[in-house]
Amino acid sequence: MTDELVFNNKLGKETSILSKGITGQEFKALFEAGMTWLRTNHQYVNSLNVFPVPDGDTGTNMLLTMQAAFNEVTHSGEQNIGKIAHDLSKGALLGARGNSGVILSQIWRGFARGLDSYESMNAQQLVQALIEARNTAYKGVVRPVEGTILTVIKDIAATAEVEIRNSDDLKYLLEKIVAAADISVKNTPELLPVLKQAGVVDSGGKGLFFIFDGFLRYLNNQPLDTAVTTVQSLTALSMEQTMETIEPGQDYEIVVDFRPYKPLNLEEFYSRLSDIGTSIQIGEGDNMYRMHIHVPTDRRYDPIDYTMSLGTITKVNIENLMDQMQIGTSKPEDEIKFSPVEDGNIAVIAVTPGIGIARIFASLGASGVVNGGQTMNPSTEEILHSFENLPTDKVIVLPNNKNIIMAAQTAVSMTVKKVAIIPSKNVPQGLSAMLRFIPDGDFDRNVEEMNEALNDVDTCEITTATRSVEINGVDVKEGSVIGLLNGKLVASSDDLQKTCLEVLEQAKVEERERITFFYGNNISEEKVNEIIEKVQEKYPKHELEIHSGGQPYYQFIIAVE
Amino acid sequence: MSDSTISTGNIYISQRAIATIAYQSSLESYGVVGLAAKNFAQGIAHALVKDPLMGVEVRQDENTISIDLYIIVEYGTRIKSVASSVAESVRYHVEKSTGLQVKEVNVHVRGLRISDLD
Repeated sequence: MTDELVFNNKLGKETSILSKGITGQEFKALFEAGMTWLRTNHQYVNSLNVFPVPDGDTGTNMLLTMQAAFNEVTHSGEQNIGKIAHDLSKGALLGARGNSGVILSQIWRGFARGLDSYESMNAQQLVQALIEARNTAYKGVVRPVEGTILTVIKDIAATAEVEIRNSDDLKYLLEKIVAAADISVKNTPELLPVLKQAGVVDSGGKGLFFIFDGFLRYLNNQPLDTAVTTVQSLTALSMEQTMETIEPGQDYEIVVDFRPYKPLNLEEFYSRLSDIGTSIQIGEGDNMYRMHIHVPTDRRYDPIDYTMSLGTITKVNIENLMDQMQIGTSKPEDEIKFSPVEDGNIAVIAVTPGIGIARIFASLGASGVVNGGQTMNPSTEEILHSFENLPTDKVIVLPNNKNIIMAAQTAVSMTVKKVAIIPSKNVPQGLSAMLRFIPDGDFDRNVEEMNEALNDVDTCEITTATRSVEINGVDVKEGSVIGLLNGKLVASSDDLQKTCLEVLEQAKVEERERITFFYGNNISEEKVNEIIEKVQEKYPKHELEIHSGGQPYYQFIIAVE
Repeated sequence: MSDSTISTGNIYISQRAIATIAYQSSLESYGVVGLAAKNFAQGIAHALVKDPLMGVEVRQDENTISIDLYIIVEYGTRIKSVASSVAESVRYHVEKSTGLQVKEVNVHVRGLRISDLD
C-alpha cells in the first residue's frame, strides 16, 4: 500500500490538488498517507509512553483508530469531501481505541463538521475545519490537561488561522501547520511536568504530528515507509533543558548509538533496560538504534555493556544530571513568581508596562503578564498565547491601557476558553480590580466585582511631552513635563515636582486617603525621594506608598484612592 | 474509613477523600463531562453534581476498595473507550495517592451530554 502511495502520485496530481482544492478521493489518499506515516512511526510513539496511565500504547491506539476510520471509506468512490470526511469521522468514532484514540476521533468529527456541505477543500476551508476540530476536541473534557494532543491541535488551529492571512496556498499552509505541530510537541514537557520528569514529549501529540507530517510528505512525494526521523527526533529530545526534580536513580543520562548484529527484539530490549534504569527511549532508523536512559551512579556502565552484547556501538554519551541540575538552579533574579492556577480556578493575565508593575500583579495573584503599554501595544497573539496554555478554561484579562483593550477583545474571539476582559485603562485601575479577585470564586461574580473596582481609583500619569501642543486649554511645549488625570491632560510645566503637585491637586487629593506612586525607569531614586518628600509635606495626613514600576516614558504612575 | 499503619500510628482515609480523588480524575478524563447523582434513577439523574460523594460510591472490604462512578459522557465519543479510560485513570490516581489497592472500578454511564448534533 505504501509503495503505491508514493509512486502513484507524481507531480501531475499534486498540481491539480493545489489549484482546484482537495476532493473527497484526494483527501482519502492524504488521510491514508497520514495513517501510513503514523504506522511507520507508531512504535516510536509507543516508546514515548512513560505516563503509566491511562494509555499503555498510544501509537497503536491512534493507528487502530485511523485504520477504523479509513476502513469506512476504502471502497468508496465518493468525490464530495464533506461526505468522505463524515464517513471517516464515523469510522473513527466507532473504532476509537484508548484515550488518545477517542480524542483523535473527536478531532476528525470536528474536522468533518467544518467541511459540511463542501464539495472540495481549499485552504480557507482547511482552516475552518481545523478550528472546528479543535473546538470539538475541547468540548469533550471538563478540565483539559495541557501539554497533550489537545494542546497540539489547538496550536495547529491557531497557526492555520494566522497563516491563512499570508497565503491561501494549501501546501504552504500545511508546511506551516506541520512546523507548528512540531514546535508544539517539543514544548509539551514545559506544560506537563510528568513529561519533563521522564524526559519525553507527549505521545498523543507526537502521533498527531506524524499524521499531519504524513499529509505533507505525500504532497512532497516523500517516502512514507521508512522511519527516518526517529533518530533525529531523539536527539532533539535528549534534554537540553534540565529536569525540575531528579529522582533517585536518575543520576546519569546515558545515550548509546549502536548497530545491532541481528534484528532487535524491541520488547525484550526495553524490558532489559527497564531493569537498569528509567526514562527509557529508543530511536530507530536505517538499521541504527539510539538508546536513551537514566541510571543511578553505580550502574552507569551497565547499559553500555548490555548494548555492546547486541551490536556495534558507534557513539556513547554520558552526562551527569545532578551536575546539570545545579547549573540549572542558578536562575536570574529577574524571574517573576506567578501564582499557579489550580484546577477549575480562574486565572488573571495582566498587561504590564514594566517589570516592577509585573511583579506587583504577580504578587497579587496574576497567573501571567504580557509586556505592553502606551507605546508598545502587545499583539492579539501575544495576549492569546499568555493564557492559551494555562491549565484552566476561565481567564480574566486586565489590559491596563485603553489602546490594548481592543487587542484583548480580539483575543477573546479566537479562543475556546471562557475569557472576560476587564477594561482597565491604566495600571492603577488594573491593580484596583486585581485586589477584588477571588481565584476560586464564581466567574461572573468576579467579573462584576472587578468591573466595579475600576472606578474606585483615580489615576495620574506624569510624562515628558514629545511635541508642542495645546489641549484642554493647557499649553504644552516640547520637553515639558505633563500630567494626565484619568487620561486627560491637566497640567504642564518645565518642572517635574511642580507638575506632580498640580496634578494631585486637580485629582482632589485632599478628599482622598491614599496615594500610591509607581516610578518609572527614567527617573533616579533620589529624584523620587525628593518629590515624595514634597508631597508628604503638602498632604501630611495621607498614606503614601512607593513602588518601583519599571515602566518606560512615565516618570510616575500615581493611584489616588 | 480505610486505614493503614505507619510507625507513629494509624492513617485513616475517609470515603469522602477517596471519592474526591476519583471525582477529580474523572473530570480530567477525556470524554467525561460530569458526574451524575447516584441516588436518583430517573429524571434529575441527568443533572451534574458538584459534590464528589454524590456521583462516586466508595466501598471497602478488607484492604481493598471498590469504586462506582456515575458519569455523563460527551455525545459522539465512543462510550466504551471513555468508560475504560476513566476507570483506569481513577484506579491509578486513587492507588497512587492512597497506597490502597483498588479492587474494581464500576462505571455507570447515566447520560450523554449533547453539545453538537452531526
